[in-house]
Amino acid sequence: MPITHRMRTIGLVVNPIAGMGGRVGLKGTDGVLDKALELGGKPVAPGKMSKFLDALSSLLKNENVEGIEWLTCGGSMGASYLEEFGEGPWEWEVVFEPGDPTTAEDTNEACSVFSERDAGLIVFCGGDGTGRDIWKVVGNEIPMIGIPSGVKMHSGVFGMNPEAVAFIVLRFLLGELDVADGEILDLDEERYRAGEWHIRLFGIASTPNEPSYVQVGKMHAEAVPEEDVKIEIAEHIAEDMSENKDTLYILGSGSTVAAVSKEIGVDCSLLGVDAVYRGELLEKDLNEDRLLSLLDQYEKVKLVLTPIGAQGFILGRGNLQLSPAVIKRVGLNDIVIICTPGKLRRTPFLRVDTGDSDLDREFRAREYLTVVTGYRTMKLWKIAQ
Amino acid sequence: MRDPSGFMREEYQTLVEKGFDWKLRVLEGPSAPRCRVDGKDVIMLCSNNYLNLSNHPRLRQAAKEAIDTHGVGSGSVRPIAGNMDLHLKVEKKLASFKRTESSLIYQTGFAANAGLVPQLAGKGDVIISDELNHGSIIDGVRLTKSDRMIFPHRDMGELEKVLKEADKKYKRILVVTDGVFSMDGDIQHMDKIQDLANEVGAMTFVDDAHGEGVIGPDGRGIGAHFGIAGKIDVEMGTFSKAFGVVGGLIAGSQDLVNFALNKSRTWLLSGSHPPQVAAAQFAAIDVLETEPEHVNNLWDNTKYFKKELDSMGFDTGQSETPITPVMVGESHKAKALSERTFELGVFALPIVFPMVARDKARIRTMMNAGLTKDDLNDALAAFEKAGKELDII
Repeated sequence: MPITHRMRTIGLVVNPIAGMGGRVGLKGTDGVLDKALELGGKPVAPGKMSKFLDALSSLLKNENVEGIEWLTCGGSMGASYLEEFGEGPWEWEVVFEPGDPTTAEDTNEACSVFSERDAGLIVFCGGDGTGRDIWKVVGNEIPMIGIPSGVKMHSGVFGMNPEAVAFIVLRFLLGELDVADGEILDLDEERYRAGEWHIRLFGIASTPNEPSYVQVGKMHAEAVPEEDVKIEIAEHIAEDMSENKDTLYILGSGSTVAAVSKEIGVDCSLLGVDAVYRGELLEKDLNEDRLLSLLDQYEKVKLVLTPIGAQGFILGRGNLQLSPAVIKRVGLNDIVIICTPGKLRRTPFLRVDTGDSDLDREFRAREYLTVVTGYRTMKLWKIAQ
Repeated sequence: MRDPSGFMREEYQTLVEKGFDWKLRVLEGPSAPRCRVDGKDVIMLCSNNYLNLSNHPRLRQAAKEAIDTHGVGSGSVRPIAGNMDLHLKVEKKLASFKRTESSLIYQTGFAANAGLVPQLAGKGDVIISDELNHGSIIDGVRLTKSDRMIFPHRDMGELEKVLKEADKKYKRILVVTDGVFSMDGDIQHMDKIQDLANEVGAMTFVDDAHGEGVIGPDGRGIGAHFGIAGKIDVEMGTFSKAFGVVGGLIAGSQDLVNFALNKSRTWLLSGSHPPQVAAAQFAAIDVLETEPEHVNNLWDNTKYFKKELDSMGFDTGQSETPITPVMVGESHKAKALSERTFELGVFALPIVFPMVARDKARIRTMMNAGLTKDDLNDALAAFEKAGKELDII
């Protein structure tokens, strides 16, 4: 497949202070850089970037992929690593000069330029905060992939390590990868300041992903677009709803679940938890109290969830309103997990962290949960022990 | 104004741009161990004509005679006026060959899967399927209202868990799988599947397209291979591969056949095989029963070819059957090897990503019982030369 100009233009942004808080016991570097430095925090990004560029350079040379153009930021937000690497199978251009010290706003502005220059992919080096800063500007318009170097990496937009990210970039350039949702998760700073550790779902970005294939000939397979698979899953749930008219459906967050609401023609929230009954939206963006109150009113209930973020949490990341009390009331047998096969492939295990260890144990005792991956199609997937 | 058929050109052009369009090669003359393809004399290593029966004198003779006695067409679908004595004769012989109570011939293997699978399970039932099953099974499954659960390839531990889960929720349970998987040439653990299925009262269905005429005593297929002939609920196969003709088949109980012929829409709504096809099918089974040398030659050739490729340094994968993959790794290298070996007079096709994992591109060779030692040595020499040129060995 020919590599288009757009695919060859890649934004590169590095958070030079990402990860520095980790070794000194901080939960990130947002707003606490001075403290991190004081405690002896060391920059993590240079080592990660050097591994990434080394790996990518060999892969591109090996596959004869030419004409890559990096759009990047000045100094430690991008240019210095390319400079230090020396000549690679690419061109690069500084399109944005950050301030000193660099801030989240610099990342935002750099991404605006990437967007104006029609970048086909953004590679970033950082943690959840950096991913979130990029997502704020580009949303799901430009796919992103993160070289993990932060303290928190809950979001579903990271590769395993710099070398894995290099391979993903290569395959994206070769047109072998599709894009799928990557949830942007980060610590809710407000609640953190109030002493609560709460990972919030901020939005849905897009990230390169292995597509699902169907065999179309004895020696041919064709990729099925992620969106088509979502529609298939949505049809499955919609049919289930029409067969269970007296059941209240609680729809969790994420765009796979949102596809269900689209299929049944109701306007649900992307990030919140909503309730649907007899094909009508009953209530949107429910908190724990409202959920419990609805659960008192309806006898039959099903809860539709999808794994959120890089670690495959179905509960406990980005959906804390689904509290232990809510889950217990719904019951484990009435939880329906949905996930596209492409996304499931990069979710080695499903995880739960409900905040109630007995309930978590009850999940883990099942060893496997059934995941709906297409119209009436299911797989058993291991639950992390 | 809409362009009513413009999409055809557009979609075709997209396929061409991606290099996914089929470039059809032309076989000039019979499918034989040495044949002429696109004007070039080649050793055939990619046909499914494992036993070289497609050009066997007894099959040719039987077909010619049937034309003289029955004409060239059946005139109808079998349920109306196209059910010939020749069709029934084949089915009787096939059941005896397969050691089953009964059998039924379908128009093609695809028609058997796409016609029968959807009738075996419906709403409230579940079909449990190996993740690498053939597209015709997948299409058959898609036509049902039943749920589907997928288990990892040949993983009996996982299948057991899926069966236990299914046992709690569903009425009917059907386990459906390929017998021999055509990409790697590996054989499904059909004996274990049958045991696991028996534990929960599940039906079993095996697509033995690449095993029929190839594995088991006298090439009687996967049931015979595992010593469970007649125990699998549906043994499905095809006449188009080792049997050298065309057509799909199922073998099992009389109940299965009664059910299948009354319920499979592909069978009910397609014209039946012409007399010469039915006669050649009969002759093919007869040859298998009376000329054991074909199956023996196939396996001797396979063992020799694999051993020699291995000794040259090629990786021939984990195949247990006459499908021998020559593992190459990168897709472009597999394509280059196929092109170069074709230039050197060997016809074998590359299988590349995404049909197989990105680092598992290969040339898939399929052995033919009619190849002589000299033919095989010529083919091996071509592989050795091309493999060295391309730094594969």
